[in-house]
Amino acid sequence: MRVNSFANITNQTMKTEDSSWRRLYEHAASQVAPGFADRVLRAARARATPLFLREFAFCAATAALCLVAVALYHTTSSGDENARNLAGWNEIASQSDDLEQTL
Amino acid sequence: MDQSTPTPLGDLVRRAQRGDERAQHDLIVGYQHRVAGFVFAITGRSDAVEDLAQSVFIKMIRALDRLQAPEQFESWLFRLARNTCIDYLRRQKLRRIFLPLAAEYENVPEPPGAVDAEELDALRHALDQLRPQDRALLALVQEGRSHAEIAAILGTSIAAVKARLHRAREQLRQHYQPNHEN
Repeated sequence: MRVNSFANITNQTMKTEDSSWRRLYEHAASQVAPGFADRVLRAARARATPLFLREFAFCAATAALCLVAVALYHTTSSGDENARNLAGWNEIASQSDDLEQTL
Repeated sequence: MDQSTPTPLGDLVRRAQRGDERAQHDLIVGYQHRVAGFVFAITGRSDAVEDLAQSVFIKMIRALDRLQAPEQFESWLFRLARNTCIDYLRRQKLRRIFLPLAAEYENVPEPPGAVDAEELDALRHALDQLRPQDRALLALVQEGRSHAEIAAILGTSIAAVKARLHRAREQLRQHYQPNHEN
Protein backbone atom coordinates (compact mmCIF):
# COMPACT_ATOMS: atom_id res chain seq x y z
CA MET A 1 0.00 0.00 0.00
CA ARG A 2 2.76 2.31 1.02
CA VAL A 3 4.71 1.35 -2.11
CA ASN A 4 1.65 2.13 -4.22
CA SER A 5 1.17 5.55 -2.72
CA PHE A 6 4.88 6.25 -3.20
CA ALA A 7 4.51 5.13 -6.83
CA ASN A 8 1.49 7.40 -7.23
CA ILE A 9 3.36 10.35 -5.83
CA THR A 10 6.37 9.60 -8.04
CA ASN A 11 4.18 9.19 -11.13
CA GLN A 12 2.36 12.41 -10.29
CA THR A 13 5.68 14.22 -9.90
CA MET A 14 6.95 12.84 -13.19
CA LYS A 15 3.76 13.91 -14.98
CA THR A 16 4.05 17.42 -13.52
CA GLU A 17 7.73 17.46 -14.45
CA ASP A 18 6.91 16.43 -18.01
CA SER A 19 4.30 19.14 -18.33
CA SER A 20 6.82 21.64 -16.90
CA TRP A 21 9.36 20.59 -19.51
CA ARG A 22 6.70 21.08 -22.18
CA ARG A 23 5.94 24.57 -20.87
CA LEU A 24 9.65 25.33 -20.73
CA TYR A 25 10.03 24.41 -24.40
CA GLU A 26 6.89 26.38 -25.31
CA HIS A 27 8.20 29.43 -23.46
CA ALA A 28 11.58 29.14 -25.20
CA ALA A 29 9.91 28.74 -28.60
CA SER A 30 7.96 31.94 -27.97
CA GLN A 31 11.28 33.81 -27.60
CA VAL A 32 12.17 33.10 -31.22
CA ALA A 33 10.78 35.95 -33.30
CA PRO A 34 9.22 35.34 -36.73
CA GLY A 35 11.68 35.39 -39.62
CA PHE A 36 14.38 33.77 -37.49
CA ALA A 37 15.60 31.44 -40.26
CA ASP A 38 15.96 34.32 -42.73
CA ARG A 39 17.90 36.35 -40.17
CA VAL A 40 20.22 33.41 -39.47
CA LEU A 41 20.89 32.84 -43.16
CA ARG A 42 21.56 36.55 -43.70
CA ALA A 43 23.94 36.63 -40.72
CA ALA A 44 25.69 33.46 -41.89
CA ARG A 45 26.17 34.93 -45.37
CA ALA A 46 27.36 38.24 -43.93
CA ARG A 47 29.88 36.51 -41.70
CA ALA A 48 31.07 33.81 -44.10
CA THR A 49 32.87 35.81 -46.79
CA PRO A 50 33.85 38.95 -44.99
CA LEU A 51 35.46 37.12 -42.08
CA PHE A 52 38.42 36.29 -44.32
CA LEU A 53 38.26 39.67 -46.00
CA ARG A 54 38.03 41.51 -42.68
CA GLU A 55 41.02 39.62 -41.31
CA PHE A 56 42.97 40.24 -44.50
CA ALA A 57 42.07 43.95 -44.49
CA PHE A 58 43.07 44.24 -40.83
CA CYS A 59 46.46 42.56 -41.51
CA ALA A 60 47.04 44.74 -44.58
CA ALA A 61 46.17 47.92 -42.67
CA THR A 62 48.50 46.93 -39.81
CA ALA A 63 51.33 46.18 -42.23
CA ALA A 64 50.77 49.49 -44.06
CA LEU A 65 50.81 51.41 -40.77
CA CYS A 66 54.07 49.71 -39.77
CA LEU A 67 55.64 50.54 -43.15
CA VAL A 68 54.59 54.18 -42.89
CA ALA A 69 55.95 54.39 -39.35
CA VAL A 70 59.29 52.84 -40.40
CA ALA A 71 59.53 55.13 -43.44
CA LEU A 72 58.75 58.22 -41.34
CA TYR A 73 61.31 57.24 -38.70
CA HIS A 74 63.91 56.51 -41.38
CA THR A 75 63.32 59.86 -43.14
CA THR A 76 63.49 61.84 -39.90
CA SER A 77 66.51 60.05 -38.46
CA SER A 78 68.49 60.09 -41.75
CA GLY A 79 67.68 63.82 -42.23
CA ASP A 80 69.00 64.59 -38.73
CA GLU A 81 72.11 62.50 -39.36
CA ASN A 82 72.78 64.23 -42.69
CA ALA A 83 72.45 67.62 -41.02
CA ARG A 84 74.85 66.54 -38.26
CA ASN A 85 77.37 65.19 -40.81
CA LEU A 86 77.13 68.34 -42.90
CA ALA A 87 77.72 70.49 -39.84
CA GLY A 88 80.75 68.31 -38.99
CA TRP A 89 82.16 68.66 -42.50
CA ASN A 90 81.60 72.45 -42.42
CA GLU A 91 83.49 72.64 -39.14
CA ILE A 92 86.36 70.56 -40.52
CA ALA A 93 86.42 72.70 -43.70
CA SER A 94 86.53 75.98 -41.71
CA GLN A 95 89.24 74.55 -39.42
CA SER A 96 91.32 73.50 -42.45
CA ASP A 97 90.81 76.99 -43.98
CA ASP A 98 91.98 78.56 -40.71
CA LEU A 99 95.00 76.23 -40.66
CA GLU A 100 95.86 77.09 -44.29
CA GLN A 101 95.72 80.82 -43.52
CA THR A 102 97.88 80.36 -40.44
CA LEU A 103 100.51 78.49 -42.45
CA MET B 1 20.39 4.48 -36.97
CA ASP B 2 21.50 2.73 -40.12
CA GLN B 3 23.72 5.23 -41.84
CA SER B 4 23.40 3.59 -45.25
CA THR B 5 19.59 3.98 -45.42
CA PRO B 6 18.65 7.32 -46.93
CA THR B 7 16.06 9.24 -44.91
CA PRO B 8 14.18 12.46 -45.73
CA LEU B 9 16.27 14.21 -43.07
CA GLY B 10 19.47 12.76 -44.53
CA ASP B 11 18.50 14.02 -47.99
CA LEU B 12 17.68 17.46 -46.62
CA VAL B 13 21.03 17.61 -44.82
CA ARG B 14 22.90 16.50 -47.94
CA ARG B 15 21.18 19.25 -49.95
CA ALA B 16 22.06 21.77 -47.26
CA GLN B 17 25.66 20.53 -47.34
CA ARG B 18 25.77 21.25 -51.08
CA GLY B 19 24.84 24.86 -50.28
CA ASP B 20 21.12 24.68 -51.09
CA GLU B 21 19.74 27.65 -49.15
CA ARG B 22 16.17 26.36 -49.26
CA ALA B 23 17.33 23.19 -47.50
CA GLN B 24 19.33 25.21 -44.96
CA HIS B 25 16.24 27.35 -44.33
CA ASP B 26 14.08 24.25 -43.86
CA LEU B 27 16.58 22.77 -41.41
CA ILE B 28 16.55 25.95 -39.33
CA VAL B 29 12.76 26.18 -39.36
CA GLY B 30 12.50 22.50 -38.44
CA TYR B 31 14.79 22.74 -35.45
CA GLN B 32 14.57 26.35 -34.24
CA HIS B 33 12.04 25.69 -31.48
CA ARG B 34 13.76 22.55 -30.25
CA VAL B 35 17.13 24.28 -30.16
CA ALA B 36 15.56 27.28 -28.40
CA GLY B 37 14.08 24.97 -25.74
CA PHE B 38 17.37 23.18 -25.36
CA VAL B 39 19.26 26.48 -24.98
CA PHE B 40 16.74 27.77 -22.43
CA ALA B 41 16.93 24.56 -20.39
CA ILE B 42 20.71 24.94 -20.10
CA THR B 43 21.07 28.71 -19.68
CA GLY B 44 17.77 29.57 -17.98
CA ARG B 45 17.82 32.99 -19.65
CA SER B 46 14.97 34.00 -21.94
CA ASP B 47 16.94 36.99 -23.22
CA ALA B 48 19.80 34.77 -24.40
CA VAL B 49 17.66 32.23 -26.21
CA GLU B 50 17.41 33.86 -29.63
CA ASP B 51 21.05 35.03 -29.77
CA LEU B 52 22.38 31.64 -28.73
CA ALA B 53 20.05 29.77 -31.07
CA GLN B 54 21.27 32.05 -33.87
CA SER B 55 24.90 31.27 -32.99
CA VAL B 56 24.12 27.56 -33.04
CA PHE B 57 22.56 27.72 -36.50
CA ILE B 58 25.30 29.92 -37.93
CA LYS B 59 27.86 27.40 -36.66
CA MET B 60 25.71 24.65 -38.14
CA ILE B 61 25.70 26.26 -41.61
CA ARG B 62 29.41 26.92 -41.52
CA ALA B 63 30.36 23.43 -40.31
CA LEU B 64 27.73 21.42 -42.17
CA ASP B 65 30.12 20.30 -44.92
CA ARG B 66 32.29 18.64 -42.28
CA LEU B 67 29.44 16.41 -41.07
CA GLN B 68 30.39 12.93 -42.27
CA ALA B 69 27.10 11.12 -41.58
CA PRO B 70 24.05 13.24 -42.51
CA GLU B 71 21.78 10.69 -40.77
CA GLN B 72 23.39 11.66 -37.47
CA PHE B 73 22.55 15.31 -38.00
CA GLU B 74 20.37 15.65 -34.89
CA SER B 75 23.02 14.36 -32.49
CA TRP B 76 25.59 16.58 -34.18
CA LEU B 77 23.33 19.66 -33.98
CA PHE B 78 22.59 19.16 -30.29
CA ARG B 79 26.29 18.62 -29.55
CA LEU B 80 26.90 21.97 -31.26
CA ALA B 81 24.10 23.55 -29.21
CA ARG B 82 25.39 22.05 -25.96
CA ASN B 83 28.94 23.27 -26.57
CA THR B 84 27.67 26.75 -27.52
CA CYS B 85 25.67 26.99 -24.28
CA ILE B 86 28.50 25.70 -22.09
CA ASP B 87 30.90 28.21 -23.72
CA TYR B 88 28.37 31.00 -23.14
CA LEU B 89 28.02 30.10 -19.45
CA ARG B 90 31.83 29.93 -19.08
CA ARG B 91 32.17 33.36 -20.66
CA GLN B 92 29.47 34.73 -18.35
CA LYS B 93 31.31 33.28 -15.36
CA LEU B 94 34.58 34.91 -16.47
CA ARG B 95 32.80 38.22 -17.05
CA ARG B 96 31.44 38.07 -13.51
CA ILE B 97 34.99 37.51 -12.21
CA PHE B 98 36.69 40.21 -14.27
CA LEU B 99 33.81 42.69 -14.48
CA PRO B 100 32.11 42.38 -11.11
CA LEU B 101 30.16 45.60 -11.62
CA ALA B 102 28.77 44.47 -14.95
CA ALA B 103 27.25 41.44 -13.26
CA GLU B 104 24.76 43.71 -11.51
CA TYR B 105 23.36 44.74 -14.84
CA GLU B 106 23.61 41.32 -16.48
CA ASN B 107 21.77 39.41 -13.78
CA VAL B 108 18.61 41.42 -14.15
CA PRO B 109 15.72 39.12 -13.24
CA GLU B 110 13.33 38.02 -15.94
CA PRO B 111 10.71 40.73 -16.52
CA PRO B 112 7.36 40.07 -14.81
CA GLY B 113 5.09 37.96 -16.93
CA ALA B 114 7.96 36.60 -19.02
CA VAL B 115 7.75 33.28 -17.22
CA ASP B 116 4.38 33.28 -15.56
CA ALA B 117 3.62 29.62 -15.01
CA GLU B 118 4.29 28.44 -11.48
CA GLU B 119 5.31 24.93 -12.53
CA LEU B 120 7.67 26.32 -15.15
CA ASP B 121 9.29 28.55 -12.54
CA ALA B 122 9.67 25.52 -10.27
CA LEU B 123 11.45 23.62 -13.03
CA ARG B 124 13.65 26.59 -13.88
CA HIS B 125 14.57 26.97 -10.22
CA ALA B 126 15.35 23.26 -9.93
CA LEU B 127 17.44 23.27 -13.11
CA ASP B 128 19.30 26.30 -11.82
CA GLN B 129 20.57 24.23 -8.89
CA LEU B 130 22.22 21.73 -11.23
CA ARG B 131 25.59 21.97 -12.98
CA PRO B 132 25.29 23.19 -16.61
CA GLN B 133 26.61 19.81 -17.80
CA ASP B 134 23.82 18.02 -15.93
CA ARG B 135 21.21 20.44 -17.28
CA ALA B 136 22.51 19.68 -20.78
CA LEU B 137 22.26 15.99 -20.04
CA LEU B 138 18.62 16.26 -18.95
CA ALA B 139 17.82 18.47 -21.92
CA LEU B 140 19.36 15.91 -24.28
CA VAL B 141 17.11 13.25 -22.75
CA GLN B 142 14.10 15.55 -23.21
CA GLU B 143 15.19 15.87 -26.83
CA GLY B 144 14.75 12.11 -27.17
CA ARG B 145 18.43 11.30 -27.56
CA SER B 146 19.29 7.71 -26.67
CA HIS B 147 21.93 6.85 -24.07
CA ALA B 148 24.26 5.77 -26.87
CA GLU B 149 23.79 9.07 -28.71
CA ILE B 150 24.34 11.07 -25.51
CA ALA B 151 27.48 9.05 -24.82
CA ALA B 152 28.73 9.90 -28.33
CA ILE B 153 27.85 13.58 -27.88
CA LEU B 154 29.63 13.81 -24.53
CA GLY B 155 32.49 11.53 -25.53
CA THR B 156 31.92 9.14 -22.65
CA SER B 157 30.59 5.62 -22.01
CA ILE B 158 26.93 4.60 -21.89
CA ALA B 159 27.40 3.42 -18.29
CA ALA B 160 28.76 6.83 -17.31
CA VAL B 161 25.82 8.54 -19.02
CA LYS B 162 23.35 6.33 -17.12
CA ALA B 163 25.05 7.05 -13.81
CA ARG B 164 25.21 10.80 -14.41
CA LEU B 165 21.63 10.84 -15.62
CA HIS B 166 20.41 9.00 -12.54
CA ARG B 167 22.23 11.48 -10.31
CA ALA B 168 20.98 14.50 -12.26
CA ARG B 169 17.38 13.27 -12.15
CA GLU B 170 17.60 12.69 -8.42
CA GLN B 171 18.97 16.18 -7.88
CA LEU B 172 16.31 17.71 -10.10
CA ARG B 173 13.59 15.89 -8.22
CA GLN B 174 15.01 16.99 -4.86
CA HIS B 175 14.93 20.63 -5.87
CA TYR B 176 11.77 20.43 -7.92
CA GLN B 177 9.31 18.79 -5.50
CA PRO B 178 9.48 21.16 -2.52
CA ASN B 179 9.05 24.19 -4.73
CA HIS B 180 6.11 22.70 -6.50
CA GLU B 181 4.42 21.62 -3.27
CA ASN B 182 4.82 25.12 -1.92
